[in-house]
Amino acid sequence: MEFSFFGTLQKILAESGFAAFAEDPRSLIMILVACVLLYLGIVKKFEPLLLVPIAFGVLMANFPLTGMLDGPDGNGNVGMLWVFYQGVQYAVYPSVIFLGIGAMTDFGPLIARPSSMLLGAAAQFGIFSAFLLALALGFPDAVAAAIGVIGGADGPTAILTASKLAADYLPPIAIAAYSYMALIPLIQPPIMRALTTKKEREVKMEQLRPVSKAEKIVFPIVVAIFVILLLPETAPLIGMLMLGNLFRECGVVDRLSDTAQNALCNIVTIFLGLSVGCKATAATFLTWDTIKIIILGLLAFMLSTVGGVLFGKVMYKISGGKINPLIGSAGVSAVPMAARVSQVEGQKANPANFLLMHAMGPNVAGVIGSAIAAGFLIKVFGG
Amino acid sequence: MIGNLTGESFLIALSGMVIVFLMLAILCLFIPVISKCVRFFEKRRQKPEPVRPAPAAVPQADPAPAAAQQAGVWGGEVALIGVDEKTAACVMAIVSHETGIPLSELNFKQIKVL
Repeated sequence: MEFSFFGTLQKILAESGFAAFAEDPRSLIMILVACVLLYLGIVKKFEPLLLVPIAFGVLMANFPLTGMLDGPDGNGNVGMLWVFYQGVQYAVYPSVIFLGIGAMTDFGPLIARPSSMLLGAAAQFGIFSAFLLALALGFPDAVAAAIGVIGGADGPTAILTASKLAADYLPPIAIAAYSYMALIPLIQPPIMRALTTKKEREVKMEQLRPVSKAEKIVFPIVVAIFVILLLPETAPLIGMLMLGNLFRECGVVDRLSDTAQNALCNIVTIFLGLSVGCKATAATFLTWDTIKIIILGLLAFMLSTVGGVLFGKVMYKISGGKINPLIGSAGVSAVPMAARVSQVEGQKANPANFLLMHAMGPNVAGVIGSAIAAGFLIKVFGG
Repeated sequence: MIGNLTGESFLIALSGMVIVFLMLAILCLFIPVISKCVRFFEKRRQKPEPVRPAPAAVPQADPAPAAAQQAGVWGGEVALIGVDEKTAACVMAIVSHETGIPLSELNFKQIKVL
């Protein structure tokens, strides 16, 4: 065998990822996009728990020649990111994340004031209006439905719907959903102030009644039975959400509740982020459609807020001025960020105003509402 | 027709919104009913467990003031008249804190609602 040091060096360079960039330089742009997303996650703290793994997934997916996205080749070889992605493809990760969300959520404020449910429903307005706007921009039905779900302000639901209805559009949809969730404190307040009067924002709401432990235990069981029987497509999300909540409230499985809230949720977040990011290759991401989705996502969030606040105003009138319409904006299901925004805006209008617990009702109703909306769209367009 | 927007699209969007509203409205009506049922059963379960020993058993365990035997209950060595054990414990803790005397050195004979 004749060995040449420079020959070997030349071979290594010719077969390296650097040389492969020459074949498709768009990968370099995607690496740049990944670095921008990492910057937004780490420095600007835009939903860092998800944006950092998503961005790193984008980075890894765009390194040429790694084979990490390759499916099984019949010889026992399979790409690591392809394996991770199966959890998204079969809707496992979003559902497990919902288990964690359920275990972290207190449905007490919703049980104490059930009318909050209607505010959670009204805030799904953005989903259906963004669906219509996406259709108007020329997206096919199923893709438009997946884009619309961004308006639910619920990352796992958006990912689940996109994986079922528009797998090719999953990365821009997930990135738009999580980026705008992080921007809720900037997006919502101007809309809330524009649609309400100072008098309405100043309304102090009556204290909520205490909710017994038994009521909190029965609630997730009843909701799971009712919603899943009526709309079976919601079973993965609603079922896991309510199971997580039952873990939390029943008081006999504290270890499971703790695992669902922390370890399990964190592990699945890593896999979910990497899986979503790894689908963002140059061919699917660097298109005009991505820009349209980013704009539609913003509109969907804004319209959901409008829907929630306007219905809040209706409830303000019906209740004789007892309900502060600001809690309507919390109907978008970004828990608890949207409720915090209601609290901040309420306190700006009246420093003695404490709306947080009142806003948590519509906020958790929004989680249920967006899962129902997604279930409906999957039923209609899922084939 | 703009893009892929058709009359049917509006119908789907409207139906979706109505279904979301309808399901959450049904839950909204359902929750108070469930809450009432749960509270009803909780009350029924609590009724047969009053916090009072049989009046005859009290003097046998430890002689107490006559008034306490008639109207109150015994909480250890203290006669509790018209107060539950939890409130009595709070009162004793407050007295101990305010006087600066450790609870073990205080001797309560009876705690009575005025």
